[in-house]
Amino acid sequence: MAWKIVIVMIEIHLYGKLRRFTDSLDPKRESILLVPADEGDTIRDIMERIGVPMAELGSNIFLNGEYSHPSRPVKDGDRLGIFPDDMQLLYKWHFKKEG
Amino acid sequence: MEKILRVDMSTLKAKVEDAPEGIKNMGGRWLTDHIVCDEVDPLCNPLGPNNKVVFAPGIVTGTSAPSSGRLSVGGKSPLTGGIKEANAGTPFSQKLARLGYKAVVVEGQPKEKKFWLLKIDKDGAELHPADEWAGKGLHEVFPLLFNKFGKNVGISAIGVAGERLMSNAGVCFNDIDNRPSRYAGRGGLGAVLGSKGLKFIVADDKGAEGVEIADKDAFKKGTKKLTEALETHDITKPGGALNTYGTAVLVNIMNEAGGYPTRNFSEGRFEGAAATSGEAIRDICNERGGVGKMGHPCHPGCIIQCSNVYPRPDGTEHVSCIEYESDWAFGANCGIDDLDAIAELIWLSNDYGLDTIEAGGTIAVAMEGGLAEFGDGPKAIELMKEIGEGTPLGHVLGSGAATTGRIFGVVRVPGVKGQNMPAYEPRAVKGIGMVYATSTMGADHTAGYTIAPEILGVGGEADPLDADKAALARGFQEATAFIDSTGYCLFIAFAVLDIPEGLEGTVESCNGVLGTSWTTDDIARIGREVLDKELEFNRAAGFTKAHDRLPEFMKYEKLPPHNTVFDVSDEELDKVHGG
Repeated sequence: MAWKIVIVMIEIHLYGKLRRFTDSLDPKRESILLVPADEGDTIRDIMERIGVPMAELGSNIFLNGEYSHPSRPVKDGDRLGIFPDDMQLLYKWHFKKEG
Repeated sequence: MEKILRVDMSTLKAKVEDAPEGIKNMGGRWLTDHIVCDEVDPLCNPLGPNNKVVFAPGIVTGTSAPSSGRLSVGGKSPLTGGIKEANAGTPFSQKLARLGYKAVVVEGQPKEKKFWLLKIDKDGAELHPADEWAGKGLHEVFPLLFNKFGKNVGISAIGVAGERLMSNAGVCFNDIDNRPSRYAGRGGLGAVLGSKGLKFIVADDKGAEGVEIADKDAFKKGTKKLTEALETHDITKPGGALNTYGTAVLVNIMNEAGGYPTRNFSEGRFEGAAATSGEAIRDICNERGGVGKMGHPCHPGCIIQCSNVYPRPDGTEHVSCIEYESDWAFGANCGIDDLDAIAELIWLSNDYGLDTIEAGGTIAVAMEGGLAEFGDGPKAIELMKEIGEGTPLGHVLGSGAATTGRIFGVVRVPGVKGQNMPAYEPRAVKGIGMVYATSTMGADHTAGYTIAPEILGVGGEADPLDADKAALARGFQEATAFIDSTGYCLFIAFAVLDIPEGLEGTVESCNGVLGTSWTTDDIARIGREVLDKELEFNRAAGFTKAHDRLPEFMKYEKLPPHNTVFDVSDEELDKVHGG
């Protein structure tokens, strides 16, 4: 059986104290990581791979602008927006999480 | 609080009355609604002699309850033509409450076009001529008034916008440092006061009795529970989200979610979001130093302390404060990514006495109408100055986005019932779209802010994307109406949703002041009563289901990045108020 490995590229926007995982620490600009991932990786898998502790995340996790569970899988070209636990507002109470 | 102050601007007399038995448990929005519905003809001309303006502190305002320095201002709105309650956080609220007034009712209309100042102190109330302070910016006038009446008074004011009867004129109050910066902004109640010639109210609570607490034990227990909730919750606690980044922490969040209205609601993401976010404001405060700071309270006794003082490059003060809504209205909505330009636009709004949400929305519609390029901060400032100067264009702009849109032939006017939408895009965030459409106040974000479905008994983990969206929207509006009546800042909702003892404490503290025995079940009941009053007034004023709709363009214009339209059906919207 031949195995096919599919590499996907994810664009991760990090905010607040999580900017330290990127090269861009300036809070007035965007802090973005371009990260390769394996097809089927979940948001949680990607956080683990780039070394961002899940414990520092709040519930504001957005995949392509959709409020999401960390267990949601990503695909090529996706945009992830990750906010820390001291930036929780609004979405937690209004909206169900995708995934 | 046992008294009502009636101010008859026809006879220029102020009279103290005993508060009738039937209203003794009411406060804030509940009370302003009650008086407006009872005493104002829904078909009156809002700028005529038969409209009234009611100021009412909340039920626990003026006590040691945490984060409770708020009051409501109510009347018939010249902007929407319906009932209006606008709410502000200010030391003025606490002083009025401590003077023993449940409400100040301003009625009638003077024959002569002059302006007056109402001075309220422990001995009573009197009107004084105020023309010497008319026609000037509020930043110039406030220091003069504090000099004259003492720096510990509270001041309520209308600016030149209100003097000129512009329907976006708000009601200004002093902040904790005596700036003219806290607003009961929306709906043009400043113009109603202008039409009655009442420019200022000064509240001096020196020697006043304070607020009577009927059940000290319940009050102490209740406020303790609420304080604990506020001090432990991640959003409201010292060093939490709001204290650290201010309300503009929402900028990056809404932008990431693709629901951050950009360039007059033509997109949901703004490339200048990061540069104008709460993080950016905080960074600039740190960088520039001087008087710049986050974590600034709007009234004494607030635990949350979410405002800021924004500095110029040299560290001197530019404006206090840059809130999420103001930041958005003059920022993303106008395509402006420069915080210094945004600060100036907010300062001008505060100086002229305008609601920043509507003012920013108006500039954006004006940009759409060709009066400026999106993103042109200096030109936006020029347009605002027309309002301050009272030019004919200034009168157009000072009357809000809908009027401006009509005059310049703009179709994309994002308003409901004549009031422009705040900083959440309905096509990306449909639940809020439902609140905008059905709120009695016009497009309003505070009319149905966050409340957990569980607490309202809407049933388990209600999924706002499913069929019972209507019940959720209704529940949000009811709970918000209750909080608006208590005098507590709406932001306590973040803590009391997650921490049931906090919600209990909120209700118990009201019981403490009033001697009532409410439970959390009464929240929906009281909220329902408040909303029903408002619905009745609006119906009598001529509103129908047809007014509970979003603007047409949102049904066919797909909004990037999600490329969605607002597809909640009319039937769904009508279910919110049980239609």
